Amino acid sequence: MYALVDAVAFYASAEKVFDPSIRFKPVVVLTNNDGCICAVCPIGRRLNIPKFQPYFKIKHYLTQHNVVVRSSNYELYADLSERMMTVINRFCDDHYVYSIDESFLRFTGFSNIIDDWSAYGHTIRQAVWRETGLPVGVGFGPTPTLAKAANHAAKKLSGFNGIAVINDESSRKNILARMDVTDVWGIGSRLGKQLKFMGIKSALDLAQQNPKKMRRMFSVVVERTVSELNGVACLNWDEVKQNKKEIFSTRSFGERISDVTTLKSALTTHAAIVGRKLRKQRSLTKRIVIFAASSPHEESYYKKSLLYDFPIPTADTSVIAKAVSRVIDDIFKPNVRFYRCGIGAMELESELYQQADMFSVSEDKPKIMQCLDEVNKRYGVGALSLGGERLSQNWNMKRAFLSPHYTTRWSDIPIIKCD
Amino acid sequence: MFVIPIFIEAGITGFESPAAEYTELGISLDELIIKHPNATFIGLASGQSMQDVGIFDGDLLVVDRAENVNTGDVIVASYNGTFVCKIIDKSNRLLISASKSYSSVYISPEDDFKLEGVVTTSIRLHKNKVELSRCMP
Repeated sequence: MYALVDAVAFYASAEKVFDPSIRFKPVVVLTNNDGCICAVCPIGRRLNIPKFQPYFKIKHYLTQHNVVVRSSNYELYADLSERMMTVINRFCDDHYVYSIDESFLRFTGFSNIIDDWSAYGHTIRQAVWRETGLPVGVGFGPTPTLAKAANHAAKKLSGFNGIAVINDESSRKNILARMDVTDVWGIGSRLGKQLKFMGIKSALDLAQQNPKKMRRMFSVVVERTVSELNGVACLNWDEVKQNKKEIFSTRSFGERISDVTTLKSALTTHAAIVGRKLRKQRSLTKRIVIFAASSPHEESYYKKSLLYDFPIPTADTSVIAKAVSRVIDDIFKPNVRFYRCGIGAMELESELYQQADMFSVSEDKPKIMQCLDEVNKRYGVGALSLGGERLSQNWNMKRAFLSPHYTTRWSDIPIIKCD
Repeated sequence: MFVIPIFIEAGITGFESPAAEYTELGISLDELIIKHPNATFIGLASGQSMQDVGIFDGDLLVVDRAENVNTGDVIVASYNGTFVCKIIDKSNRLLISASKSYSSVYISPEDDFKLEGVVTTSIRLHKNKVELSRCMP
């Protein structure tokens, strides 16, 4: 048996944990730089607030309905996520954290101990609610895809109250028939459109397809999904999480910038982020793309991106930052109000299988990078950084509606009234 | 030629510490005070109503959400939109202040009320901490 446990509107629910004044109000959370809505609490959903809408477009509607707006408080979410995962971890010896608010549990040899999965789900749900203040939904199924489907049912379909179990034909068919095919794990909106065009509308429709035919028409992944929907486990989360083939670090600026020094320091910071991510998965990059652009809403849209090839693959922050210094004058253009910039590492190679080059010597200094990573791991990202990174702070994320960091900063701990 | 490596105790000059065999981990306040790390949060007391149980304005409260709540416990609850610290009387649905000059509050069904956790420890700082400067009066 598998289970998928995930938080209900995690970011919005996390905002409510330490702020009782907004618990019974509609709450939305905005993405980086307060651009779009990325989470809507259940009370807000009743107002039909659409997700992934630019904030400025529905600002008026939100004010009208007294909706509480918050910027993404990642410091708080990270702490609450860790607490939630540690509680869930108590309930199964095989636990895989899939994202900040989702985790899979694989129960092997539990059939003699647990006869009522629904009751077990309630126990998990209550423990997380009581100990962290976060509401979670739990779905059980014989495969990861069915557990994910049950989790969807637990939260979105009527008749389930946060828990759903698929453990026989009738529960499987009942849930899959009421589920849109695009809500199946791994079926994106584009693929969903094609399937619907073929008359495959519900998850059950997809389950009834011939897996071999699906493989021929689409891919091996769709074939596996069909098998999974029929109770044959073939997806493994260890396989799902492969090393990334490209690593990007991009962000829009809190304020527009138009001087070369600030742009350079922003790109240098992206260089550091890309370097850190490369080292984490033990990869090296042969080629990076460096880009900067103005807002597409602006009259004279400007975008420039340059490819930069390294003679020897690298994962060294200072080597990548040097590439930025070399191309910055070609990217920068006076009088442009830059809105976003970034760096992407392409053509990644494993650090392990490197052929030495007879004519050029690597500039990487792995020991310094290891030291940098360890200092930052211990004292927080940014504790040690390149000189070029922090020339200016104002390109950092704009978070105008940020709540306090209740659990990670002494100055922000919640006030408890004794009046 | 074969070399057989023999590790010798280098590094110690002079006498070996007679305490070396007795080293233990240092004592930790977290270990003593926080029983359920995932379920515990720290808040700042504000007000005088709990002075008779020794909780003063500006004290730190260690709140454990996993601890069982019994009548007579010092608890933190969310009550109509704010966190409050009181003594709970479960059978009579009362929030009682420690100081007699404050009257008890009856929790009616119309109130937004939720028990958050038990105050297992309170901490008084006898010297101001800059880290807490925002909350200090």
